[in-house]
Amino acid sequence: MGTRMSLDPRTKLYLVLCLSTLGVAVTDLRLLLVILAAAAVAVKAAAGSILNLLGKLKRFIFLFLIIVVIQSVFTRGGTAVLRLGQINIITDTGLVRGVQTLLRFLIVLVAAALMATAKPRDIIQGLIQLRIPPELAFMVTMAIRFLPLLRDEAVDMLTAIQLRGVNLKKIPLLRRLKMYSYLLAPLLISVLLKARDLSLAMEMRAFRAFPRRTSLRTLYLQPADYLVMAMATVFAVAVAASAILLS
Amino acid sequence: MSALITAKDLSFRYDKSERRLLDRVNLAVNAGEAVAVVGLSGVGKSTLCYCLSGIIPHVYQGELEGEVLLDGMPVKAMSLPQIATKLGIVFQNPDHQLFSFTVEDELAFGPENLCLPREEIDARITSALEKVGLAHLRLANPQQLSGGQRQLVALAAVLCLQPSVLIFDEAMSQLDSDGKKRIKEMILRLKAEGKAIVMIEHEPENLEVADRVLLLAEGKLVPFAGVLPEATEG
Ligand SMILES: Nc1ncnc2c1ncn2[C@@H]1O[C@H](COP(=O)(O)OP(=O)(O)OP(=O)(O)O)[C@@H](O)[C@H]1O
Ligand SMILES: [Mg+2]
Repeated sequence: MGTRMSLDPRTKLYLVLCLSTLGVAVTDLRLLLVILAAAAVAVKAAAGSILNLLGKLKRFIFLFLIIVVIQSVFTRGGTAVLRLGQINIITDTGLVRGVQTLLRFLIVLVAAALMATAKPRDIIQGLIQLRIPPELAFMVTMAIRFLPLLRDEAVDMLTAIQLRGVNLKKIPLLRRLKMYSYLLAPLLISVLLKARDLSLAMEMRAFRAFPRRTSLRTLYLQPADYLVMAMATVFAVAVAASAILLS
Repeated sequence: MSALITAKDLSFRYDKSERRLLDRVNLAVNAGEAVAVVGLSGVGKSTLCYCLSGIIPHVYQGELEGEVLLDGMPVKAMSLPQIATKLGIVFQNPDHQLFSFTVEDELAFGPENLCLPREEIDARITSALEKVGLAHLRLANPQQLSGGQRQLVALAAVLCLQPSVLIFDEAMSQLDSDGKKRIKEMILRLKAEGKAIVMIEHEPENLEVADRVLLLAEGKLVPFAGVLPEATEG
């Protein structure tokens, strides 16, 4: 089996729903930490390592500081930890709220990272088996498939501009924004043309021949999936109960 | 012998345009025959393909007269999924035809739409991939294949619906010489299998696989004399 646990995408979806619901509903810092730890363990089990994830999360340290300061300045009450003249820059309530918000952020991000460990094609198949209409499932497919291409296309266009000797960094912000808006039109047109052609290609391959479709591959929930889902449920109930007791 | 696809006095004009792109066009393509259509850019070659494949009037509308018969049935009266089981079309740009995460999924799309059982879908994928020579790429990501390979995937995806008529709308124009060679080989094989083929082309060296070459100019379809009337353009 190696170090990676291959769970059904539906199990992962369930985990993500449990973790993020708890993360949003719970206020107690200790419990939030527990949820975050659980989310990290889940990602570790699914992806084999969380180093990659930690690297991505580093960016949020700055955001965290801003949240703490904003919460401190704008919430009344609490004892000042850091004062500047008459203004409380950092208070203990501000700090608590800041940590709370940060933990919630992290929980949602880590949970989302769990979803990213599933193959897109499995996610779609999972959605289909959850009885999502085929049209919607294919829209999700297109989004996953073509958004990165769109970004590449935009980057290519910017590169083309820079190759003509325009130094984007030296152009004033307003003019730079205007320049971006010029890029938007051709980009939108290319997207629309592609969407039109793709839908044509799909229709010419009998899309929507019947309200239902069959499926070449089927996902089956394995014993491990049931086990993980049961564990997640027990965990969610336990955390919810502790939250009620602690409040 | 009756033709697999026939256009009878076909005329067409897009709603917002003055120009009659097709003016009483007649065409009949038999099983095992490949007909190439050449013409200047913007003359209406793709529009002709749309009419033959029922995209006009089912998707795009305009003033349409005459009729197209597919296996004896008017395409006007058939639904697009019904048409898709008799006629397959390969477009110019492979990137605008493929959308799946794997070659296998791409090929499964059509048969899945027809609600075929899994074993049947699997068998059709295997046979189509063998035909186009891509069996080893079954689980590959289409985005990582060469242009020629992607166009072969698009063709294989269409073949999974087992059509008897195939339309290639400048399917080779974005391919390198190796890609062109492979598509041309496929056209010859499909011809030998008894498919009726209409191919839009403008490169002379691609016309060698066709049995007949027709020229579309000023809305008329006439036998091609060997030179495009390019001088008139400019
Ligand atoms: N959906 C549409 N609505 C209105 N006009 C259209 C539509 N599609 C194409 N046209 C116009 O009809 C004319 C013929 O287009 P068509 O795509 O059939 O030409 P073509 O011979 O295939 O050209 P090319 O060699 O560039 O592919 C063009 O002038 C085009 O602008
Ligand atoms: Mg065309």
